[in-house]
Amino acid sequence: MVPDGSGLFWGGFGFQRPPIAFASELIRQKKRNLTIYTCGSEVDLEILVGAGVVPRLEIAFVAIEALGLANNMRRRVAEGKVEIEDYSNLAMAMRFLGGALNVPFMPLRSLMGTDMVAKSRYRGDKKLKVIDCPFTGEKICLVPSIQPDFSIIHAQRVDMSGNAQIDGIVGEDLEGSRCGKKLIVLAEELVDEEEIRIAPEQTKIPAMYVDHVVLVPFAAHPMMCHGYYDYDLEFLQMFHKITRKEETWQEYLDTYILGVENHDAYLDKIGWSRLNKLKAIKPRGY
Amino acid sequence: MVEYSKIEFLAACASSHVRDGENVFGGTGLPLLAALLAKETHARNINLISEAGFIDARPREVPLSVADTRYYLGCSASIGLIETLGFILQAGHVDVGFLGAAQIDEYGNLNTTYIGPYESPKVRLPGSGGGNDIASSAKRLIIIMTHDKRKFVKQLDHFTSPGHLEGPGSREKWSMVGGGPEVVITDMCQMDFDPKTLKIRLMSVHPGYTVQDVLDNVMFDLIIPDDVPTTDEPTQEQIDVMHRLDSHGVYLGKGGS
Repeated sequence: MVPDGSGLFWGGFGFQRPPIAFASELIRQKKRNLTIYTCGSEVDLEILVGAGVVPRLEIAFVAIEALGLANNMRRRVAEGKVEIEDYSNLAMAMRFLGGALNVPFMPLRSLMGTDMVAKSRYRGDKKLKVIDCPFTGEKICLVPSIQPDFSIIHAQRVDMSGNAQIDGIVGEDLEGSRCGKKLIVLAEELVDEEEIRIAPEQTKIPAMYVDHVVLVPFAAHPMMCHGYYDYDLEFLQMFHKITRKEETWQEYLDTYILGVENHDAYLDKIGWSRLNKLKAIKPRGY
Repeated sequence: MVEYSKIEFLAACASSHVRDGENVFGGTGLPLLAALLAKETHARNINLISEAGFIDARPREVPLSVADTRYYLGCSASIGLIETLGFILQAGHVDVGFLGAAQIDEYGNLNTTYIGPYESPKVRLPGSGGGNDIASSAKRLIIIMTHDKRKFVKQLDHFTSPGHLEGPGSREKWSMVGGGPEVVITDMCQMDFDPKTLKIRLMSVHPGYTVQDVLDNVMFDLIIPDDVPTTDEPTQEQIDVMHRLDSHGVYLGKGGS
């Protein structure tokens, strides 16, 4: 469904609700030349750039946070195979908000005076502009809005008509879900419409925005999904370690992504006894 | 006598700069441990805000991510990134932000993006994340770094987040909301900024180090005042609280920057 060369808003924030199952499927389908737009992502970006699916990104952050640097990204950038246009988190969120509002740019007070303004890659002088505000005369930074081909969001639950509820941490998913030309929602669980209607305040994405829904349990493994499962720390540490070398990363790619037919086969490979241990304890959420 | 590691000293020292009742951006990693330590000791009423979009967090242990449910647990509101980085931070409501960096220059400007030339980077670092936003708009910045000569540079490889830019008048020129860095804390010393030049100035040296040790480990001309006191040691309570917060030794065990 996603043609080569597409641009994608990529949902989730940090360790929370990254659409990793979707990234693995893009790799299995040998997609090429995709551009990713997000504030920050971690394991998903590592596998996408590691497998050569994504040569261009407009992001604020990539690392496995407390575990350390993003090794695949570091290697691909050093090899010249991946280009990153650097923005800040607020700048990216404003670009999604601008796209969602259908206006061409948004102003913000960050970035000015730094290399984020002075330096750009493939966007050239279309990365951002610093202007004198026409009303106050103050310096202000304008960032271009984004309306990518697709928005990819991972939510906790949906109903049959596509109403999607997100629990816990939201990040930039409200703006991001509304900025894309088509919205694909990955959900952990399908619930009855009544369950949505008794807690409508949790419906962060109304059905009217949603084009496609895919039911994908453990879509974020080895990361977390609030209220459903915790991160798999041991697996995550193994992943971070194997990405340090190209050889061991290629082994991982062959074993856990290309070597399985689909996400269900991946989960079987991880093992259900292991996955069940990650299931969240209510009400704490992990 | 209290026994402590360099990292514990660094975190305890950084936490002492948070005042009770402040709105604080804690970030992640060691900076967050310092903010949490403040909340568990002398600054119980700080409002800990995460860029992932939640407010007034009360984590019981250090999280691995700014969006870790462990961080979120017990917060009073969870709204979204534009709420915290926009409505709260950019609107000028954040008193203090914690940041780390791979490189810092004499005006407190920070690099968290690339080592090596921009055109052909040797190492891709995490990038700004919310760092540039926090550095631009928080009233005060507390910068935390492990001390290494290669990190205290005359010229940054890449300028990610603003300190005092080119000195007096720079932040005003760009209409910045926040006041810029107040202190830089390492495992060797504390530094503040000379009010006239806005350049980094030695403030105190940690026990076991000399002024010369610090001078040998910076690549720019550090301002040295006549009187350089020894930094206060952490208390046993601070050490105990840190170990409770990081019971798995994620940050205390292997260090961080």
